[in-house]
Amino acid sequence: MAKRYLILEDGSAYAGEGFGAGATTSGEVISSLNLLGYQETITDQIYHNQIIIFAQPAIGNVGINHDSYESILPTAKGMVVRDVTNISTNRLSRLSLDEFLQQHNIPGISGIDTRYLVRKLRKMDGPVKGSIVDVADAHAFDQLNATVLTNRQVDQVATPKPYPNPDTGKNVVVIDFGLKHGILRQLSERRCNVTVLPWTASAQDVLNLDPDGVLLSTGPGSPLDLGEGVLEMIRTVQAEIPLFAIGLGHELFALANGAQLAALPVEYHGSSHPIRRIITNDILYATQGQGYAVIGKSIDRDRLITTYVDLIDGTVQGLRHRDYPAFSVQFFADGAPGPHESRDLFDEFMESMTAREG
Amino acid sequence: MAKVVVDAMAMQRALTRITYEIIERNKGVDDLVILGIKTRGVYLARRIASRLQQLENVTVPVGDLDITSYRDDIEHDADRDPKVSAANINFSVAGKKVILVDDVLYTGRTIRAAMSAVMDLGRPKSINLAVLVDRGHRELPIRADFVGKNIPSSQRERIKVSVSEIDDRDAVEIQQA
Repeated sequence: MAKRYLILEDGSAYAGEGFGAGATTSGEVISSLNLLGYQETITDQIYHNQIIIFAQPAIGNVGINHDSYESILPTAKGMVVRDVTNISTNRLSRLSLDEFLQQHNIPGISGIDTRYLVRKLRKMDGPVKGSIVDVADAHAFDQLNATVLTNRQVDQVATPKPYPNPDTGKNVVVIDFGLKHGILRQLSERRCNVTVLPWTASAQDVLNLDPDGVLLSTGPGSPLDLGEGVLEMIRTVQAEIPLFAIGLGHELFALANGAQLAALPVEYHGSSHPIRRIITNDILYATQGQGYAVIGKSIDRDRLITTYVDLIDGTVQGLRHRDYPAFSVQFFADGAPGPHESRDLFDEFMESMTAREG
Repeated sequence: MAKVVVDAMAMQRALTRITYEIIERNKGVDDLVILGIKTRGVYLARRIASRLQQLENVTVPVGDLDITSYRDDIEHDADRDPKVSAANINFSVAGKKVILVDDVLYTGRTIRAAMSAVMDLGRPKSINLAVLVDRGHRELPIRADFVGKNIPSSQRERIKVSVSEIDDRDAVEIQQA
């Protein structure tokens, strides 16, 4: 395999072996602390234009299978791993990770001390740009420094057109900000008759479909860049229809109801933080992936109730509206990749729709 | 033959949702009092109160309503209405928003008796009814404001609610008579 380099905007370079595609790419460098689920991670659109460092040292050992796509066309910019394995005995495996990355023109680099990089990134404040390149020369750094990261991630990955996912149960409208398929799978398991709408849909577009419930999906990037229109839509819809929001959807739900958001110094992607469910005072674990967090002090307690809180970093992980059956979680309740113990939030959503019918 | 229709997780969720709905309906927890109808309604009432405490950091008074004579789901007593005693309630309900909590809503006769007992204590601002299960077959014009689960049932079936405080687990089962 060819020798390649990961370079960071602070001028550091890390030599490793290339795998996957031979492309030269740039993006925001973030780290994933998840032990499981590299396929879910690499295909999740929240990683649009990002180079993902995996703290888990052995990546690739279950191949790529049809069950674990969080989107079909991954748009991450690269994978940085300690060891890459292209042999898999998983019975579902259809492709090796290497083949998959080649098909999607995503470069990987192995032989990197990823745990060192995870610690280093924590010390570097703010988004860090990086590239995967063949030669770590001055030209490569110039190119990297000249790279401007887009803030139109949602536009790039969310569906531009509505589409249905028909079934026989409750009518659910999903607003797509770059959704992970796990959300659709959880709704399918509960027989929901889903219509996915683009994130630019108006409240009228949503209400025209006479949904029993509305779900605001996960997605990449900053919730602060999406404008007032979507917040207006949320405020109108939440007063009419049970609403459930996840990830970016949660951040928008918070904004729509007067809370403020702050960018985290370092994006957090992992599943090892205990999360307290306040109402029953018990603990659960969930896959988390966030670059922003709701500022606890900014929450208007006459409008929102804090329902979940991260016990490690203290971030708000869930909210509920005081006046309407509308609630949200920062973490990925679909459990793809696991843990699965927050999946019953989808049951809570179903039951809030049923309760509304009376 | 018994069939579990609500398991422990679903029961927790139902009580959680009812708690949030109580907050939605009452615009908060001011002036709220919760009265559980014995036996299992009392435990459900306490669980709702503990959830409100967790969320709002407010202690909502919880009282017990005792069914003194007979129960309306036992066949041979069907021609006599149940009597509910509010003797154990040591706080005022006058001007309060009362939430009655029972495990199963059936004929509505227990609830009617409970409402009479509450109103004998004082004049509440309002009375709402929260039930874990609404099984239908009402004989009085009564409906629940907060329902954990609607279980349309045959009158030959028995709905059995278990709560972990006094039973071996949390569950709602349907038993064929």
